[in-house]
Amino acid sequence: MSDIEIVENLRRDLGEKAIELSNPGVRRIFVKVAPRDLLPAITLLRDKYDCAYLATISGVDKGDAFEFLYHFASPVANINLRTEFPKSEPRIASICAVIPGAVLYERELQDMFGVLVEGLPDPRPLVLPDDWPAGQYPLRKDWKFERPQEVIPGGKS
Amino acid sequence: MNFKIPIGPQHPALKEPISLRMTVEGEVITDVDMRLGYNHRGLEKLAEDRNWIQNIYLTERICGICSHSHATCYVQGVEKLMELAPPRRGLYIRYLVSELERIHSHLLWLGVAGHEAGFDSFFMYTWRDREVVMDLLEMISGNRVHYAINTIGGVRRDLDAGQIAKIREGIVTLRKRSEYYFYIGANEPSFVARIAGVGFLSKENAVALCAVGPVARASGVARDVRKDDPWAVYDEIDFEVATADSCDVLGRVVVRVKELLESYKICEQLLKSLPAGDIAVKAPRKAKPGEVVSRYEAPRGENIHYIKANGTDKPERLKVRAPTLANYPATVEMLRKGFIADIPLIFAAIDPCICCAERTVTLIAAGSGEESVVRMSDLRRRAIARHQNAPVKRNAVWPL
Repeated sequence: MSDIEIVENLRRDLGEKAIELSNPGVRRIFVKVAPRDLLPAITLLRDKYDCAYLATISGVDKGDAFEFLYHFASPVANINLRTEFPKSEPRIASICAVIPGAVLYERELQDMFGVLVEGLPDPRPLVLPDDWPAGQYPLRKDWKFERPQEVIPGGKS
Repeated sequence: MNFKIPIGPQHPALKEPISLRMTVEGEVITDVDMRLGYNHRGLEKLAEDRNWIQNIYLTERICGICSHSHATCYVQGVEKLMELAPPRRGLYIRYLVSELERIHSHLLWLGVAGHEAGFDSFFMYTWRDREVVMDLLEMISGNRVHYAINTIGGVRRDLDAGQIAKIREGIVTLRKRSEYYFYIGANEPSFVARIAGVGFLSKENAVALCAVGPVARASGVARDVRKDDPWAVYDEIDFEVATADSCDVLGRVVVRVKELLESYKICEQLLKSLPAGDIAVKAPRKAKPGEVVSRYEAPRGENIHYIKANGTDKPERLKVRAPTLANYPATVEMLRKGFIADIPLIFAAIDPCICCAERTVTLIAAGSGEESVVRMSDLRRRAIARHQNAPVKRNAVWPL
């Protein structure tokens, strides 16, 4: 299946759900859907476009909104599904029911962006330490790292 | 009664900080919990503060074994963003180094697999031969680990006729040795008996859990980015995707040895048709706003970088997914129903390594979560008592 055919098929299958559909490079297809259409779109990709393989999920902080990109790959193309939701309401549905291999990526997004992934089978923190302060989300653009003052035990006061 | 055995994050024999908590019933693992993040360096955040050139060297330091993979994945993405077309010769040299890196990584892994299976002469042979390819890499780039050969728009060092002849010679030696390993791997009965049927991962699970690289290919999923998404030179090269359908550690050994042989083939083709000309073009300092998904087949599986530019000399976002992370859910599945003695072998088979059984263990009563450190002698006494009273391994299931 060539890129043009995939784009046409996607346009037909997704219909109104596809807000944006582009093909910027060879075997690279970007589709934008609303958060509520995410699960049906992923189910469609998995069942009809041979995209059972989720490469990863990227999160982007766009100022007043978060954008998540679900990078799928089939043997013929790399389909990237993107969705955007406002920062004031940082929650999105988990896709683990459809793609069981997504659990680690979704846990990482929860840690790094402070987005609540609803319905995650295992919502514990993944990469941040246990004593990490609450409400600190490192990959948000407004988060800056400040090196804590080094205190030498028993050293000069 | 079941116990939880924690392995790591700090362990005398553990090369990487990861924590595995095994719930065991007798010798059989019933559940596995994995905790990550002990080595998290905040690299994606750091990349947003560095310019395009600095980030090459930053991404190179993600991993020590497949340093070139991350740098190449990043560089080929940035080239697409900047709409650069690197010269053919530069590309050929870049992917020649990629294949040499795959060879050194797979030889290293074969040695580790031999070591974990108790076949130490195999380990010493493969690591001796790995020095051949390490010397070649040092000759090409000047470094054994971080080759630093990539730059945006091409590579930084050219090859001369003498170096090409040396690489050819080295590949002849390595191919002879690898064929011998292939023979040994398939014919040494004790080695085969140790690794066959261990760490079973069905094809359905490999697909569902998004496994990548040799782990997926050993379960019969022919997923190789070099074939599925051929970029740069790979559409001009003739090679096969190595697969196996035994779905166990034996399959993973076979896949990696086959891939070694394919990599020699690729190297020879690249050297044979090495075009003349420049090795790099000048890159602009800034990239236009845009985004790109760059994929690369690292020795351990698919490497994917998502790069977003905002028009400045720094990336807006750099997302890196290394292949090992993708293989963790599959590893949990492999360890389940396996034996404690197989943990090092199964875990090593995805390519990070952890080995040996515990000397002193912390026992956590599975119900209450209470921890107590026991001495080996106590543990032994308890084990004897348990085995005297309990029917031995009644619910042990051989993984096959």
